[in-house]
Amino acid sequence: MKKSFAVFLKRNLAFAKLAIVTNLEYRLNYFVDAIVQPIMTTGIEILLWLGVFAGTHSVTINGFGKDFYLSYALWAAFFARIATSWMYEFRMIEEVSSGTINSLIVRPMGFYEYYLSQLLGYKFITTIISMIIPIIASYYFKLPCIYERIPLASLLCFYYLILVHTISFLVCSVAFHLTKISSFTVAKNLMLWILTGELFPLDLIPQPWRSQLISLPFASGVYLPVGYISGRVDHSYMVHGFISVTIALVILNLIASWLWKIGLRSYSGTGA
Amino acid sequence: MSIVIETKDLSREYLSYQKPEGILNSIKGIWNRKYDSKIALNQTTLQIESGKIIGLVGANGAGKTTLLKILSGLVTPTSGDATVLGYRPWERDYKFLKQISILLGQKNQLWWDISPMDSFVLLSRIYDLELSTSRKRVLELAEMLQCTHVLNTQLRRLSLGERMKMEIIGALLHEPRILFLDEPTIGLDIVAQENIRNFLANYVKEKEPTIILTSHYMDDIATLADRLLLISKGNIVYQGTVDEFVKNSNSELAHDEKVDFEEVIRRFLETESRIR
Amino acid sequence: MISILKKYILLYFSMFKASFIADLEYRANFFTRILTDVFWYVAQVVTFEILYQHTDHIGDWNLKQMRVFLGLLFIIDAFYMIIIHENLENLPEKVRKGDLDLLLAKPVNSQFMITLQKANTAIIGNLVLGTSWLIFSLHGLDDFSYIRLLWLLLLAPCSLIVIYSMRFVFSASAVIFTRSENLQFLWWQVYRLGMRPDSMYNPIMKWILLTVVPVGVIVSIPARALLNPPNYFYLIWPVILSPILIYLTHRFWKFALTFYSSASS
Repeated sequence: MKKSFAVFLKRNLAFAKLAIVTNLEYRLNYFVDAIVQPIMTTGIEILLWLGVFAGTHSVTINGFGKDFYLSYALWAAFFARIATSWMYEFRMIEEVSSGTINSLIVRPMGFYEYYLSQLLGYKFITTIISMIIPIIASYYFKLPCIYERIPLASLLCFYYLILVHTISFLVCSVAFHLTKISSFTVAKNLMLWILTGELFPLDLIPQPWRSQLISLPFASGVYLPVGYISGRVDHSYMVHGFISVTIALVILNLIASWLWKIGLRSYSGTGA
Repeated sequence: MSIVIETKDLSREYLSYQKPEGILNSIKGIWNRKYDSKIALNQTTLQIESGKIIGLVGANGAGKTTLLKILSGLVTPTSGDATVLGYRPWERDYKFLKQISILLGQKNQLWWDISPMDSFVLLSRIYDLELSTSRKRVLELAEMLQCTHVLNTQLRRLSLGERMKMEIIGALLHEPRILFLDEPTIGLDIVAQENIRNFLANYVKEKEPTIILTSHYMDDIATLADRLLLISKGNIVYQGTVDEFVKNSNSELAHDEKVDFEEVIRRFLETESRIR
Repeated sequence: MISILKKYILLYFSMFKASFIADLEYRANFFTRILTDVFWYVAQVVTFEILYQHTDHIGDWNLKQMRVFLGLLFIIDAFYMIIIHENLENLPEKVRKGDLDLLLAKPVNSQFMITLQKANTAIIGNLVLGTSWLIFSLHGLDDFSYIRLLWLLLLAPCSLIVIYSMRFVFSASAVIFTRSENLQFLWWQVYRLGMRPDSMYNPIMKWILLTVVPVGVIVSIPARALLNPPNYFYLIWPVILSPILIYLTHRFWKFALTFYSSASS
């Protein structure tokens, strides 16, 4: 038992390394993904908040001043980049629908772990570079930011990423039956766009919706970590985030592995 | 000799959706679809001994790839049963998967963006091999295939022939007991084909794995295969040695006519396509 | 001249018909497509509804006017999605696989083909949805003279041309760079700037978005034509801009193609 776990660990480290090597292979792509894209998103969101504060007569919105919203917009873009997996999700679905999955399922390893480790490895290598930017920016512009909270916030976001991956896996197992499910994934990603708090801080939503949405596991992707760093939420929210992600992970993994089994059974091994 | 592959009444059918032309029919197709079922493999029963090379021959769509995919665990059969090395392939037990290998001549299995050597390290992790042993093995195989110089070039920069050699090394890295080769020489030039054939022949002498081989090049089958499995429309129509097969066919002909293996197969496929 | 026009119109009709048949093939997609965009609409609407909970004005617009803005955005975007989007979205992939060869070898204007070959008819449902939202939002206005809707006949096609031209430049760069997924993402970010009313931005930014990177023209100008008394500069500018942009895309395509022949050899 212990031996097989060591084997499992070794091979998954190798998968993570594979992701890092392949992504650094395309330097420009990596650079754009880790730095240019989140900076652009941040810029656009900051323009929105500047516009909103220019139009309002009060100096605070929902009890927080302009700086808090700029800080939120700044960090949210970077956390949202971590908390999405469109590239690997796309590849996973491609593997299933094009039949290249053949070369993976004849090997003694799981499809789930293979892509999860790659995803985590890739996110790790982008995160350590891209997080430098909001840190410098909030220091330079003196935006509200509690720096010592960054590690825990990042940890929650990465934990949430496993949930994101599980959802991708679930979508993949549906891809065995439906040939074109790309639009379904788009719908899902758009929903997460709101539910994670990437679009706006979830605490702006009126009650009773506010508490409901914050208690969902999706808030752990952006709202909770960013709110924690910028001082909108406290420690107890973070604990709650870890718990709700754990519950969701258990439930979704059970459903997904069941669907995956059914999917593989009906799989006809298309392609060569 | 022990039996390593055994199947009983193994069948697989596929459903496909038929659509008559035109917009109206397309709209109808939203709620009402007619499905056609096609039998790809029909109640196949066979036994394969260990250490043999089996040549699987048949026309396009005859069912050879389906058989190969069921035996390697890619596809679940509709009915019937099979055991390979004592496992049911489609349950994909890791212990089973560690002992087999499948090579698809038309698909890349190694990683596109990294060098073959990096891919082999990754494979060693997947198959739980000692890195030093597998490295030695890679060099050994690369030596035999005369391609040591490309081991550290990214796969996407290699030529088709070099890539195929790399795929072969990847497939043999964990010394599989059963090797499924689906058209390993497709698209290669004659010299490269010959190289790979020679390599496989040598490799088999040394390690004695069981090999199931499909190919459209009859030279592959004639030089490598101990036994021939002729498959037609999902049914096995001949099992036996290549020589016997040629002899049988020749005895049916007028005695002033002598044909070789390739010609026999050609005639067989021709008759088949006429019946269809 | 007329006969050429006729040829292209007939060609477009047959391509549209073929697209419709192809789309019906994936019936699940047909329905999820509407579902998808409902989420997108909801995301846009909810964002502003929430923001207006906390402020009366964003830029110089109140909530009711913002709803009209969004309605126009949905409709114009739906037209763009039906007619053009899928083609330009897949262009980089076509270039990479070398499928462009087949198009270039045909005796038809290649820009016409890559732009209009495949309509995405599954989006027609969204158009209905967007129109309903616009009617709803116009209904909510205190005084609205419906005669102003006629401006859309002039301005909506211009908006479509503006989106098309900008997106085209991003997609066609794929011919030059071959690997350009990130450029496509960049387009989306630029487009997002146009999904918000121009008055939200400071004067310099606003000027840029109306001229150099004219995403501000797409929705903000038609929305002003509906909501504000006519401002002749705003009404004439899109009409001048559109033919210029079309001409520029034409030149850009020619330029990009010189790279293609050398890249594929």
